[in-house]
Amino acid sequence: MNVWSFSFRLLFRQGRSGSLWMLIAGLAVATAALAAVSLFTDRVGRALERQAAEILAADVVVRDRAPLPERIRVSADELGLATSDMITLQTVLFSPTDSALFSVKAVSDGYPLRGRLRTAAGPGQPDQETATIPAPGEAWIAPEGLRTLDLAIGDRVQLGERELEVTRLLTWEPDRGGGPFLLTPRLLVNRADLEGSSLLGAGSRANYRLLLAGSERQVERFIAGFQPERAGRMRLETPGEEQAETDEALEQARRFLAIAALTAVILSAVAVLLAALRFATAQRDLIAMLKALGAESGEITRAVTLMLLWLVAAAVLVGAAIGWIGQAMIAEILATQMRTALPQPRLAPLAGSGLFTLLLAIGFALPPLLALRQVPPMRILNRSLDQASMARRAPWLVPILAAFLLPAWELNDWRLAVLMLGGSALLAGLLALSAWGAMYLGLAASKRASGAWRFGLAGLSRRRASSIVQVTALGLGLMALLLLAVVRGELIGQWQATLPANAPDHFMVNIQPDQADGVRAELEALGAERLQVRPMANVQLVAIDGDQPPENGFTGQVNVSWIDQLPPANEITEGAFWSPGARGEISVAQRWADRVGVRLGDVMTFDAGGSRFTATVTSIRNVQWNSFNVNFFLLLTPEAGEQLPHQYVASFWLPEAAARDLDALARELPNVSVLDVGALIQRVFEIITQVSQAAQVVFAFTLIAGLVVLLAALEATRDERRTEAALIRALGADNATVRNGVLIEYAVMAVIAGLLATAGAALTGWIMADELFNFAYRPGLVLFVGGFALAGVLVVGAGWLGNRSVLRVPPVRILRAGAD
Amino acid sequence: MGDSTRENPSGTPPLVARNLHFAVDAPGGRLEIVNDISLTLNAGRTLAIVGASGSGKTTLLGLLAGLERPTSGAVQLAGEDLSVLDEDGRARLRRARVGFVFQSFHLLASLTALENVMLALEIGRNDQPRERALRALEQVGLNHRLDHYPRQLSGGEQQRVAIARAFAGGPDILFADEPTGNLDRSNGEAVADLLFALNREHGTALVLVTHDPKLAERCDDVVTIVDGRLESPSVATPARAAGVHP
Repeated sequence: MNVWSFSFRLLFRQGRSGSLWMLIAGLAVATAALAAVSLFTDRVGRALERQAAEILAADVVVRDRAPLPERIRVSADELGLATSDMITLQTVLFSPTDSALFSVKAVSDGYPLRGRLRTAAGPGQPDQETATIPAPGEAWIAPEGLRTLDLAIGDRVQLGERELEVTRLLTWEPDRGGGPFLLTPRLLVNRADLEGSSLLGAGSRANYRLLLAGSERQVERFIAGFQPERAGRMRLETPGEEQAETDEALEQARRFLAIAALTAVILSAVAVLLAALRFATAQRDLIAMLKALGAESGEITRAVTLMLLWLVAAAVLVGAAIGWIGQAMIAEILATQMRTALPQPRLAPLAGSGLFTLLLAIGFALPPLLALRQVPPMRILNRSLDQASMARRAPWLVPILAAFLLPAWELNDWRLAVLMLGGSALLAGLLALSAWGAMYLGLAASKRASGAWRFGLAGLSRRRASSIVQVTALGLGLMALLLLAVVRGELIGQWQATLPANAPDHFMVNIQPDQADGVRAELEALGAERLQVRPMANVQLVAIDGDQPPENGFTGQVNVSWIDQLPPANEITEGAFWSPGARGEISVAQRWADRVGVRLGDVMTFDAGGSRFTATVTSIRNVQWNSFNVNFFLLLTPEAGEQLPHQYVASFWLPEAAARDLDALARELPNVSVLDVGALIQRVFEIITQVSQAAQVVFAFTLIAGLVVLLAALEATRDERRTEAALIRALGADNATVRNGVLIEYAVMAVIAGLLATAGAALTGWIMADELFNFAYRPGLVLFVGGFALAGVLVVGAGWLGNRSVLRVPPVRILRAGAD
Repeated sequence: MGDSTRENPSGTPPLVARNLHFAVDAPGGRLEIVNDISLTLNAGRTLAIVGASGSGKTTLLGLLAGLERPTSGAVQLAGEDLSVLDEDGRARLRRARVGFVFQSFHLLASLTALENVMLALEIGRNDQPRERALRALEQVGLNHRLDHYPRQLSGGEQQRVAIARAFAGGPDILFADEPTGNLDRSNGEAVADLLFALNREHGTALVLVTHDPKLAERCDDVVTIVDGRLESPSVATPARAAGVHP
């Protein structure tokens, strides 16, 4: 027997049977779900990365305190990258009547390489995107700068030796971020003007940047070939290193999408297993007959394995096509909601999806199919001599494990994968155990029941194994549905609620010590809430435990503050925060400690204007950066800080009505800069909303997978139900008895599945909230009410629809049952 | 046709069974389904096994055909000792030497009449399976039904396809389990006529399990099985002495 052609013929001819299509559908849905999810998350991921790149105004930035060597630009040009120069400098700007510290940014043509500038003709005018930069002799000024210097559009300002005309109001820069303390009012000028201002001489604290943008490949090659000129001083900035707040939101978004993908994967696996069991059961007579006719076990094994390979190939092709269409549809739906266009899909994620489907088939579909080699040929004469047995499971754990680990690897989040898979396994185990218990009770109850109740409850117990599988699958499907419909919304809502509605939206920097109390009083009078006024000094980090600190963006000149108690939105992770009156101690933020390599007990030496002091690290803090409070990487005990030349920083929320009064206050204090961070907060929320919409679409695939599980479970027992229904109708049962029996069976199943899925969804939500979002999730009443209603409608409804043919089966079928 | 097991020493009876036992563990203890049965069937002879339901006749048929292994005892099928063959060895022997006809036909619903016959020939590695299948179906008078699926055929026609399938590979011995059990009287008789006619034509030995005394009477020998034991031949036939040795 030529097993190749035989397997193909077997498949081709079996193609007329329904059970084969179930298996193909199961595998294709698995492929489609994963393909769509990975294609789409890949696109969203790259789009978000691009958006994050806007924070840099480029894909990658080379930065130094000195003019950048020409060779950097040459290598970028060789790779075909677009480039643009930028010099930033904090300097005092003079108007005819006033002066103030400004953050001057000088740019060359092409800036920004990512994102767009927005400008307005004047205060109160609508702003619009612009593709140009200030011409030489012109300057664009931030709105708060206009107030600081009491300027009007058309006025002139003095930048070093250059006089510039203020021509436009600068309302948005993609790379405005970088921490609130850098945000002195912005003046955007042409690079030629700053170079001609005499401000870039020796001792200048200018920052030189080369902005680069290009394809992913070009950028990767540039990064790979990048060699800093002088160790530590020159560095690369890439998306993700900037702006702690935006970063955290992106990371949470990525995890959310990863959860959606993993849920789809788990449900697809269940669907494939059910379909394969059903398919294998339907093949037992065929295999027994082939064996009776002389087919060997090896031939059966090879033919079945090959047949499965053809199936996988077909399913992968169909699934990949559906997945491709699916992700395109999602992208189309989201096109209007996304700030930037999604990049084109890549074929790469499809390879992973195909491999995943193969592993899924080997792990879940092959064992029941290979068990067919055990079918005794005697079954052809006497079915009772055939005890269906699964192949030993242990060797199949390898592909099953691989099937699950592959997406986890693709999604690059092992911890989350293990958490999800562990949770699902636990839930599946609990569901199976509860289903087993309910079957046991059902059997006991059916002995006392009568009529439809006896028929329905006995039906559950009679198909104990398959009922357990069904309740488990239904429970998992429902859980995904509940996570999608209820827990997702509640999680986002509750997480947003953890961000105070009146989160600080203004910062005030450069407040002199003698102004601090007055400013506090004025702000309180204006109705400022969540007001914090904190001291800040700029010092040089000289040594850590006597050694030179590593040189990176976190060392060198650092901002320190001091306080006698742990500030809000901070949590000690190591050591203990000092008690009031402690001396010579320093508390370090976790992120800073990780980047600089500081540990508890290290002694840090600082230089403040020539005088040195030391402090011992006694605690490490986890800082909740998205609280928008004033937070510092480094906190000193007050005795050390109060000796330092310092200024104060205030953060507060201000009612909109008080904006005008704040302006007046700012004018009274020309040295103080007011920064409106409302726009930044708005942006964080925009990103969260946008990504949760994407996640919702991704979760729709898990829903489809869940429904396939439901239908596969129904399909799996339909023949048996038809025969039973025919039998009891032949015995004289009326329509109502058969109908009610079916309803009772499915209602009991719905209750068990609903109960466990609701509890499972609540538990998963709680774990997710705790692990990912750092808050305690409280499931709402709607989860429980909705959970049971959904279970009832879906399970009983699908059971009813799926069993309509059972209800219509004529009693004469029982006479023909043997001949089917 | 190219199977090595086809080389059977001439003159060896196609079927010899000695002291066959088959027992299973049941809730009430060990249950002897086949109890110490011996018999021999010579080439070209026909044997009917009759008995009440549950007497063990189908199990005996399965043991004789190598579909099931006996608990003890030995079966020699087409000159091969089944006890030394593993399941694959027995499969090779069946595809080369044995044909089957079942009560419920066991045709593949997704294959046409022609494909059903061809499939058995392909499994048996026969040359030119299509031509052989066409000839076999012509012999059973179904050459006008080649492309019909089982559901498009009557019960009698389905059993004729099964008979064509059984004889197409040129077996030494044919096992038939209640071949007319699912057919009405006239169809049953027609199928029985066909079975015996082909049997004579091919010189095949035939083992037949049946409830039908009339069908049993048409066999050279008849044995009755009661509670797993072979009783003395109960139906007198002229050929009784020619081959059956209970």
